[in-house]
Amino acid sequence: MNAIEVEHLRKEFKVHKSRSGLVGAFRDLWTRRYTLVRAVDDISFAVKQGEIVGYIGENGAGKSTTIKMLTGILTPTSGRVVVNGMNPHKEREKFVRTIGVVFGQRSQLWWDIAVQESFRLLKKVYCVSDEQYRRHMAEVIDMLEIGPLLDKPVRKLSLGQRMRCELAAALIHNPPLLFLDEPTIGLDVLVKLNIRQFLKQLNERYGTTILLTTHDMSDIEALCERVIMLDEGKIIYDGSLERLKERWGQGKRIAFTFAEAVTAAFLQQLTEGLEVVWKKGEQPNVWVSHVPSGGVPEVVSRVAARCALQDIRIHEVPTEEIIRNIYEEGAVHG
Amino acid sequence: MFYVSVFFQYMAQYMKTKLQYRTDLLIEWLSDLMAQAVNLVFLLVVFGHTTLLHGWSRDEILFIYGFFLVPYAVFGAFFNLWDFNERYIVQGEMDRVLTRPLNSLFQIVLERMELESLLGAVPGLIIMLYAGSRLSLSFHWYDVFVFILFVIGGALIYAGIFISLATISFFADARTSIMPMMYNISSYGRYPIDIYHRVIRYILTWVLPFAFVGVYPAAYFLDKKEWYSYAFFTPVVGMVCFTVSVMLWNAGVRRYRGTGS
Amino acid sequence: MGKYVEMVRIRFLMMLAYRTNYYTGILIYAINIAAYYFLWSAIYGGKSSMQGMSLGQMTTYVAISWLARAFYFNNLDREIAMEIRDGKVAIELIRPYSYLGMKAVQGLGEGLFRLFFLSLPGLFFVSLFLPLQFPGHAKTWLAFGLSLLFSFIIFSELNLLAGVVTFFTFRNEGLLRAKRFIIDLFSGLILPLSFYPDWAQQLMAYMPFQAISYIPSMIITESFQGAAVSDGLFTQAAWCVLLLFPIALLWRVAKKRLVVQGG
Repeated sequence: MNAIEVEHLRKEFKVHKSRSGLVGAFRDLWTRRYTLVRAVDDISFAVKQGEIVGYIGENGAGKSTTIKMLTGILTPTSGRVVVNGMNPHKEREKFVRTIGVVFGQRSQLWWDIAVQESFRLLKKVYCVSDEQYRRHMAEVIDMLEIGPLLDKPVRKLSLGQRMRCELAAALIHNPPLLFLDEPTIGLDVLVKLNIRQFLKQLNERYGTTILLTTHDMSDIEALCERVIMLDEGKIIYDGSLERLKERWGQGKRIAFTFAEAVTAAFLQQLTEGLEVVWKKGEQPNVWVSHVPSGGVPEVVSRVAARCALQDIRIHEVPTEEIIRNIYEEGAVHG
Repeated sequence: MFYVSVFFQYMAQYMKTKLQYRTDLLIEWLSDLMAQAVNLVFLLVVFGHTTLLHGWSRDEILFIYGFFLVPYAVFGAFFNLWDFNERYIVQGEMDRVLTRPLNSLFQIVLERMELESLLGAVPGLIIMLYAGSRLSLSFHWYDVFVFILFVIGGALIYAGIFISLATISFFADARTSIMPMMYNISSYGRYPIDIYHRVIRYILTWVLPFAFVGVYPAAYFLDKKEWYSYAFFTPVVGMVCFTVSVMLWNAGVRRYRGTGS
Repeated sequence: MGKYVEMVRIRFLMMLAYRTNYYTGILIYAINIAAYYFLWSAIYGGKSSMQGMSLGQMTTYVAISWLARAFYFNNLDREIAMEIRDGKVAIELIRPYSYLGMKAVQGLGEGLFRLFFLSLPGLFFVSLFLPLQFPGHAKTWLAFGLSLLFSFIIFSELNLLAGVVTFFTFRNEGLLRAKRFIIDLFSGLILPLSFYPDWAQQLMAYMPFQAISYIPSMIITESFQGAAVSDGLFTQAAWCVLLLFPIALLWRVAKKRLVVQGG
């Protein structure tokens, strides 16, 4: 069974266009001009139960709008949405019992009261029995390492502490489906690692389906096998992260640190016939070569045979860069 | 039943929060008292220059004012919607509300309740007692229930009107400053309705039925028989007003577009 | 100077953007004044004059008081309190203008907007069906205009003062609310001060509040004649200057604290 099914989903906003200047503002008082903006434009996809899917795109690509339609906050202009077998905005109150939502920029918790008081309130709201709560939350609290924070008021927590508590709060009713909108925004590396590890465990142990949006590609790499990529309201890629990398991030980078100065022409000539592109590195005597897959041993042996080297480093093309390339070139047909 | 137990859960949390800021509570109460004093001073000063207001005496008008304070206090305790647009629409808290399995209006009522406003009913009761004893009003045992019914009706009228106003935020991208202005209009329901031109009388009875939160129900206790039929209409008007506003609210939530994209 | 004018313009544009406010504002103003008219007719109950004012003068007094309020009223105290609480003041302080001055100018922009596009159309609307009496002398209008400007300055000064005071207190919603009610009551907005008992009138004469609403409204209804007009204007001018001192003093202390505590 699919956790999420979306067909030809569309969301249009009417945006008021203001005329410029004072005179324009007066004219706006009487007549207004509107433009129709398609935030989400005819998208279709399905997410199977137990999947972790990364939903990525630039600011304003329509990620949040999609998430809001999937969680029943916004009503779609047209199209079909079925999440957990229900229509989110039609049966909202029943539906939201089956999902957990975390907005990275917005707090679920009550500012002035202790974290566990917020949990208690939510437990009541979601009708979770004491037994269920104790069994499930003990584990969650343990995994997120938030035990010592429970009796502190939310306003006294750091951002990282708060975020972990937010995650726990969204899981009080042990939902089979979890939406995360920028869950790691502004967090330091250690907290990010902790959260990622937790999400993985959650997914393995309870089979929780997770849909997350993020700007941090390392989140995606650590968690998602599948990514859906959005641009201007349309899906431009839907498939595995591996394949995306294969098609777009073919090859490796080798950074050579030479013992003495060399010229680009010399290096070019050295690797003739291997389709290698050389670029000057940022440090002195460092040159970076972009090598097609499989060509690494040949390039290294040719260079090492002729030049004195201090260091060699081999990198993969970073995902960030792949994504950037895709956006620059437009749609991917994969 | 579920809603009732959630209500008490919220209330318990509310108490814990409020007890942290006790001095604040006191100051808030004092400033509420002052707001009431302003209106009281107006009445007292005016009656320093005249004895009758269209046939109604000073004590009768005071009694109306005292009565008004009670439903108004109930309204203020549970329907604190003044900054709904700022807080829920502009800052996007509405998104969070909509991801919880409770009626959205009910959640906002719970989150924003200010039980200390109920204290505002105390001066109201005192004024009623003072004016009532000077007028030597007759009082029956069942009047207690009539009073409660009228208070609930009045609070629902207020709630209905201000929920409807809050609903505007769903439809228009406007920061509404209508609420404070509406508050001004609401005060005209506290004076004998027959002093007004019929257009205003009509408005205060059928469009913005503030007269049902003041002069009409109070007329029952003042033994003004000619207003009895209006007085007993109070709970009905309250129910209708509130129901309509909830329907408007639900339509508004359907229209809700959220902040940004 | 240019940047302050620009601020007035921006506030103007912001206000214009909210058109539901605009339409309903006029309507509600009209209902308000009309209701007041009937209330006062009932209070007069056939008497031709009370405290030296006719019903016509009283109606005009009320209409003008609310019109003037639309001009001088602003929420600067709340805005400053909020910016202090959120720590935004620190950012404002490094900008190349006077923070309090900029706040006052913003208030002026809003006030001018409401005066010209809410109150005046509203007043025109009301005057179609209510017997308002306006003076024929250009001198009265001139005095009223000047008086109105003083009202704005005094009201804004009180707001700035209250706003700065919130820097030294913690949680001040109650304080600001109380200030508002005191101004409503003692400024003559809801009731001409001449209606109050003598002892209260004497007390109020020593407070700045009467300069906000009572004086301009008495001028335009020509309840003040001759020397009373210039006396009123002089009182207002004096308060304008006097209130500057506590503001400047408190602001200086507040800024020092801000630098030490870092907001």
